[in-house]
Amino acid sequence: MKTILSLSISALVFFISLLPLEAVAHGERAQMPQLRMRTVHWLDVQVSTAKLAVNEVITIKGQFMPSKYWPHHVNSIEDTAYLNIGVPGPSFVRLDSRVNGVPMIRSTSFRYGELYDFEVTMKARKPGRYHVHPVINVKGTGPIIGPGIWVEVTGSFADFENSTTTLLGKKIDLETYGFSNVVFWSALWFSVGLAWFIYWLTKCPIIVPRFKRAQELGTRADEMITTWDRRIAGGFLLLTLGLIAGGYLYAQEQYPITTPLQTGRVDVPAIERAPNPVSIKLIEARYRIPGRSFRLEVEVTNRGDEPITVGEFAAGNLRFINSAVLKVKPLDEHDLLAPDALRVEGGPVAPGETKRLVIYADDAMWETERMTTMIASPDAVVAGLLHFYTGTGKRYLVEFGGPMIPVFG
Amino acid sequence: MSKSSQAVSATRSGMSSSAEQRKAYIQVDLLAIPLVVLLFAGIFSFHFALLVGDWDYWVDWRDRRWWPLVTPLAITVLPAVFSYVLWDKLRLPLGGTLTILCLTFAAWISRYLNFHLFADFPMNFVWPSTYIGLGLILDCMLLLTRSFFWTGLFGGFAVGAFLYPLNWSMLAPFQVPVEMHGTMLTVADTLGYEYIRTAIPEYVRIIEESTLRTFGEAVTPLTAVFAGFLNILNYWFWLWIGYLGTKAIWIRKIV
Repeated sequence: MKTILSLSISALVFFISLLPLEAVAHGERAQMPQLRMRTVHWLDVQVSTAKLAVNEVITIKGQFMPSKYWPHHVNSIEDTAYLNIGVPGPSFVRLDSRVNGVPMIRSTSFRYGELYDFEVTMKARKPGRYHVHPVINVKGTGPIIGPGIWVEVTGSFADFENSTTTLLGKKIDLETYGFSNVVFWSALWFSVGLAWFIYWLTKCPIIVPRFKRAQELGTRADEMITTWDRRIAGGFLLLTLGLIAGGYLYAQEQYPITTPLQTGRVDVPAIERAPNPVSIKLIEARYRIPGRSFRLEVEVTNRGDEPITVGEFAAGNLRFINSAVLKVKPLDEHDLLAPDALRVEGGPVAPGETKRLVIYADDAMWETERMTTMIASPDAVVAGLLHFYTGTGKRYLVEFGGPMIPVFG
Repeated sequence: MSKSSQAVSATRSGMSSSAEQRKAYIQVDLLAIPLVVLLFAGIFSFHFALLVGDWDYWVDWRDRRWWPLVTPLAITVLPAVFSYVLWDKLRLPLGGTLTILCLTFAAWISRYLNFHLFADFPMNFVWPSTYIGLGLILDCMLLLTRSFFWTGLFGGFAVGAFLYPLNWSMLAPFQVPVEMHGTMLTVADTLGYEYIRTAIPEYVRIIEESTLRTFGEAVTPLTAVFAGFLNILNYWFWLWIGYLGTKAIWIRKIV
């Protein structure tokens, strides 16, 4: 029986190891729903290509808006933030990253309610299939992860090349630069240290005899140290100090021009955008748990010159589309998009009109993306973006936010 | 010798000749020394990961201000403790060099297997710094002075003061300036920017956050001297911990 059991387990392990497994969970569902809904709204995130070869370049771009309903118990994006990319290790190298055209090499801060354009350019480094996310790291809060898009990299890792030119005009290979020098000095120091250790090992056996001798001699145990020991120690001390000084002078001579590590902050000026003619007031937000249905009642004021309709409801990277207004296809199998899950009661809002709309976002994504735990929030406040569209295709973005009441029956 | 007298001597000792005794002592060494090496490698790696961590993992963390200050304080702990134990019990000046050799060996294995092969970072971005010279200074000082006081005063100071120059031969190429999109960076900063670390944003690094910039060019020497002075007290403190360890009752019972 035991043999059959162990053979079965071995066979199971063997067959599982043959399956083409891929990582599909990247932590985006692990964040609290409130954090996802009330921190950063990501829009129009897209990649320039979903398939590329090693050494080819890909651009991921889109927009984001820090929420005006940012939780007070979480450190603010208006303090310190950094535009990053969520990929498994350096499967790509980042060549450029910009927000509103400003290079994002250094950290910055973003203002609540402001809409920012971002663009990250990367070069494929290692073959594989990767779920690429834009990320904003917020100091004291952690990474705020944007929507992920699958990207496949083909080719060979061995072919990857990445070089730059220093300000002194020397072209260097960033994959290997300086490493042979590191190996040389590390091996040299390791050899010297090992030589010292081996010197004492030559006195083996060293543990029991030396312990007994030290106990016998008591306060005169220093007599165990021989003149030869002192000479060797003096030699090693001089060698060590000489190598430190020599190595330092060698490096100064080889690299006379160096600068300290660079850090600092950059400011990202806001882009001037046309005034938004649409404003809303949240009347009520309810989430009905059994139906996985989010009901939003809002009062909408349209100060524009065209009628507007709600085309999209976006919250916590989930997108619910009103198919009567928009036709959107998922980018891939893990695109968090419900193309026909938004129902709007109340009809279009005419120019100059203030009207009450009831919006239903119903989809299993609330459950599968672990958003239902929003009822466990300490302040039960939710937020999201409503996308209003005119008949001519103009889009107006309006953020809503406020208390949410769960419905259990 | 009669059979009965042989039996009596056997109850006193398992070894009937000095050759056998020497063989037994060598067997103790062969068993204990590899175990000690593994122990030092394990505990020092864990200790160093907790107290120094990213400062030693990434070349773009080794600034002039905090790395040469934090690292000596952390690197001195186990050498000081085990220097006391090995010197007091065996008169072996190996506590500094052996512990740091073990750390270095474990660090290279970890960087190669974990950071390079598993996580795909290039080795020139994640190489471990070297500290073996600092251990040698401590051990040689101890042997030459045969005094913990003078070893702490000169050796402890040297560990703090020489950490930066000791590593400069490896670090200097990574601090050559580079221009990227209108911003001046070092090669190390460029590696940090290009080789993506999702969980390590730029602001997490602690680069020269202090008022020592007031002293212009003298940031590194001032830090080195300050680290040296602090490390004298640090060395003596951890020697005392080593002393307490050897005096602990459970140790006495074993020994």
